[in-house]
Amino acid sequence: MYIISKVKVLLISLVVLGVSGCVAPPTYVTKGEEFPAMYVEKPKSLLIMPPINLSTAAEAKEYYSTTVEMPIALHGYYTFPYQLTADVLKQQGVYDSELVYDIPLTKFYDYFGADAVLFTKIIHWDTSYTVVASTLTVSIDAEIKSTKTSEVLWHYNGTVVVDLSANGGGGGMAGLLINAIATAINTAAADYTTYAKMANGRFVGSIPYGPYHPMYLKDQQMKLIQQHDEKTEQKPVETGIKHTAN
Amino acid sequence: MKTVFIVVFTTIFLAGCQTTKPMYEYENYSESFYSMKKEGGDETAAEWKISLENIIDKSKVKAVRVPPGVYANLGYIHLKANNSEKAIAFFEQEKQIYPEASKFMDNLIRKAKTQG
Repeated sequence: MYIISKVKVLLISLVVLGVSGCVAPPTYVTKGEEFPAMYVEKPKSLLIMPPINLSTAAEAKEYYSTTVEMPIALHGYYTFPYQLTADVLKQQGVYDSELVYDIPLTKFYDYFGADAVLFTKIIHWDTSYTVVASTLTVSIDAEIKSTKTSEVLWHYNGTVVVDLSANGGGGGMAGLLINAIATAINTAAADYTTYAKMANGRFVGSIPYGPYHPMYLKDQQMKLIQQHDEKTEQKPVETGIKHTAN
Repeated sequence: MKTVFIVVFTTIFLAGCQTTKPMYEYENYSESFYSMKKEGGDETAAEWKISLENIIDKSKVKAVRVPPGVYANLGYIHLKANNSEKAIAFFEQEKQIYPEASKFMDNLIRKAKTQG
């Protein structure tokens, strides 16, 4: 019975979140409509490039790089061993993925045999503080580019915003103070890679499944939220995840 | 009443297992990879190697395919330790399960051979 009531609470909170989060209703598109080139080229293997770090956190690049392989492989693609390919790229003088982003990508087929290349950009990897609240944001832009044509076959963004403020300290000034202290504690303990994995989950889901997945070439009708990446600022998706101090 | 619940839950659980059998056994791959990057040093590198070996053992037990890149990563560890023979054997295994890796593995095998 305990489980059932928990489910109910979850459902209610989901509904509440859904309702309160309705600023503009999202537009849904199918994978087939949004990423037709993926179904035409049918890449089987993906070379994961070292992340391009646009955030202010220098360590983000190394840390984030450990989270990408697994979800992509579990999505059905052959992923080249990152630890090894990153070293090979360094030996070839590719220290930064920015360097190769705009050049023809055929050489990645020639050496690795990769059908396509996955670029990831770390847009946010930070925590913003205010006295009463703080939020942790991890935001990743991801792109799959063909090694045959160098064209973008797929792109999507995954963002996770976590409210780190501990609510429930009670009202009034005393409550405010407790919250501020709890916030500081939570922020210090925050593990970014946990949220990076969630952000990955958000974009990986929109990739058409790869050849090792049972849903390969069967997911054209699957719906996803259309993202507008030009000019308009990325609207972070609230997760509703609350971190509370224990 | 209690038994009914247990039966129901067990049924749901079993039914759920059939459809969601994991594709790969990853063990603590991502955690040990992260520790290696974060802390560095020989100890975390050794732990990462163990986690790669565990993935292979566990995959055999569970009769699932070894995840992409695991054999190749192990091969690379042996290559760096100047153990070309073992390195080549692992690169060959990666190629065997994943033909997509052939080109890259052939390049690495060539390198390992010249390294001797």
